[in-house]
Amino acid sequence: MTAAPHHRTTTDTPPPATERTVLAEVTDMLLTLLDGYGTDDVEIGMETTFNRDLELESIDLVALAGLLQERYGERVNLAEFVAGMEFDEIIDLTVGRLVGYVVARLDAAGAN
Amino acid sequence: MATVDIGGLRLHVQRLGPPGGATPLGTVVLVHGLLTDSLASYYFTVAPAFAAAGLDVVMYDLRGHGRSDRPRSGYTLDDTIDDLEALLARLGVTGPVHLVGNSYGGTVAFGFAARRPQRAATLTLIESEPATASWTAKIAEALRQVVTQLAYDEAAAIAWITAHRGPNTARLARSAARLARETTLGVDIPASRTLTDTQIRSVRCPVLGIYGGDSAQVETVPAQRALLADFRSVVLPGHEHSVLVEAGAAVGGRVLDLIRSTGALPREGASVR
Repeated sequence: MTAAPHHRTTTDTPPPATERTVLAEVTDMLLTLLDGYGTDDVEIGMETTFNRDLELESIDLVALAGLLQERYGERVNLAEFVAGMEFDEIIDLTVGRLVGYVVARLDAAGAN
Repeated sequence: MATVDIGGLRLHVQRLGPPGGATPLGTVVLVHGLLTDSLASYYFTVAPAFAAAGLDVVMYDLRGHGRSDRPRSGYTLDDTIDDLEALLARLGVTGPVHLVGNSYGGTVAFGFAARRPQRAATLTLIESEPATASWTAKIAEALRQVVTQLAYDEAAAIAWITAHRGPNTARLARSAARLARETTLGVDIPASRTLTDTQIRSVRCPVLGIYGGDSAQVETVPAQRALLADFRSVVLPGHEHSVLVEAGAAVGGRVLDLIRSTGALPREGASVR
């Protein structure tokens, strides 16, 4: 019997990063952050924007960067990802774009 | 979250280092601006490039701001410089540092350099100036507007800002109003001690002023040039007061040029080892 593909096993190679699992993990992190604001009924999907929909301030994104690094290690660097963007791009940043970045970084690390 | 206790007050600190854990070639301390600002303005703009250039990057949220503690009182410029001194001591940063301050953060950084000239290797003032009588007049007026228009008639002010400037600015304004309401900041800052010409002149390190071309702050250049031994200025056209977040790459590049000019970093293009 084989383990379900999304189930973390004790083998050295983690399961391949998929958009779905990363979205679920990022959603958990965002719910943790939003917990302090008493926000209820937040639905988080790929199209959700950090600024307009979640009303996160930039200092909240610093906390998110810490959570991402805790979970995925040095290879996922939100500061570097965002530092390359135009100001308006940061304002319009979606969960989906972050998920895409994380998946790409995990894939790149896996290929090394 | 990384917090550092500086004696009954916890400050939120973020620190980035050179890639691969290399030994830093110096420490750069980044001080943010007033009310709506936080260390995030550096974290998502210049900080990664500074770390990549080989620097130890220290960012923190001023008291009352971001994720730092918000005591009710203690917001004069001297209190804030005390916090910075205590933080560096707590972090074990004892040598000269490269100071960068945005807006009010530049006034704080200048105050630190004037108090401890031997601790300042370079000083960058982004849209900023030292604490003089004319600075006090400007900041008092700006704070008066926040306190009167926002804190006392918040609903109307927020509605206007939402309609004319958008929900993002409105949210920032709401958080500024909260800070003004919950603390003595609005009274403390205008009551801050100013620097004498002699104290300003005591800053002997290279000082760089960076200005948005569309901001009135550039008018303070002659005053700095008259008093400082080594003052350089850069105007970035098409930007206003928020030049740091709008043009982070350009601002960061100019700061690194300044630091390189002291010989602290290899020239651009040379690899960092």
